[in-house]
Amino acid sequence: MKQSVFGLILFFFLMLPPVADLLESIMIFHMHMQMPLLIVAGFLMGKFFLLRFPAFLEKWNEDGIAGILLFVVINLYWMLPRTMDEALSVQMIEIFKFVSLPFLAGVPLRDSWMKLTTAVKNAVIILFSFLFVGLGLVYTLSPVELCNNYLLKEQVTLGWGFLTMAACFIVYLIYTLVVDPSKYE
Amino acid sequence: MIKSRQKIISVIVVLIFGFVLLYAGTDEFTAFTSETARVNGLIENKPEFPAVTLEDSEIRTYTFSEFKDKYVFITFMYTYCSTVCPKLEMNMSHVYSQIPQKYLGDDIVFLSISFDPARDTSAALDKYKGYFNSDGETWRMARIPDKKDLEMLLKEFGVIVIPDGFGNFTHNSAFYLVNKKGKLIDVMDYKKVDEAAQKVLTILKETGE
Repeated sequence: MKQSVFGLILFFFLMLPPVADLLESIMIFHMHMQMPLLIVAGFLMGKFFLLRFPAFLEKWNEDGIAGILLFVVINLYWMLPRTMDEALSVQMIEIFKFVSLPFLAGVPLRDSWMKLTTAVKNAVIILFSFLFVGLGLVYTLSPVELCNNYLLKEQVTLGWGFLTMAACFIVYLIYTLVVDPSKYE
Repeated sequence: MIKSRQKIISVIVVLIFGFVLLYAGTDEFTAFTSETARVNGLIENKPEFPAVTLEDSEIRTYTFSEFKDKYVFITFMYTYCSTVCPKLEMNMSHVYSQIPQKYLGDDIVFLSISFDPARDTSAALDKYKGYFNSDGETWRMARIPDKKDLEMLLKEFGVIVIPDGFGNFTHNSAFYLVNKKGKLIDVMDYKKVDEAAQKVLTILKETGE
């Protein structure tokens, strides 16, 4: 339960206007700090939902596939350059960000991840590696501003952020492929 | 058996939700950036050029009714800009040079509007227009001295201008075409010079007949 409380505190902390403004003022903070932290807040709060609605989750998210799909869909949506812009200019979209990332991405991730088979987990990481490489290239190579609220220079920084994340995923995938942890136990 | 059916139902529900979310979020998969969405919205809504007062490089002041019964080809810029604006104005000059003399001034006027009225005085604009062979008559450069007027125009035409605190601005760039009734009818990619010139010529020919 302690985790859920921490998640809730983190969630409210991120919602504080000065904190939100600061994180949203820099493009890479917006996409690679605020949004993941909202998912983390949801992930921590997920414990509460797991304890509260075990039957529902067991029934409708038995093998974690539906939950992880929801997680992927919400992430896809927030990776569109347009949604990042609109979160700043349209209040409804900003509210949707603070609801969807914790509760429709963080919570399902918590419920689903342990239920998934290793193959599906790796498939998810491979999918995100491809996505991040693609987006990284789009953001670093685009000659025009994709977001009206941010400078071109920030966009390139964000692109490198995506590429770095993708590199981490790929390193992890190679590691799981070549290293057998049971040998070292 | 029942369990696996529920599993499938929940997957389908999630997929439908995801499709609707992405479909609505991108205006039926047509606009992935807010810039595209903005341009699509402008072309659909055809906002009218508001009644603001312009002051040009020849120190003449007038409202937009000066261009009554003429098409107006517009860009938004500021002369201190060292990145996009010179390119934007250079491309505008390429469009300008593709328009036959007989249309210039009578059927169409080119207009560069500065959104930095504090620094872009008539003298500054006069100097700037020299770099692009603008004659100050069929291609005018003007500022909007009144701050409220300027903000209204930028808002109507969806021009986003963000000062960076060092005397420069981040802004979106495009060619804007306003029709004889003062309504915005097209927003064109400023990098596609020939395409823009072709479009303008077609419109001028149609109305000339």
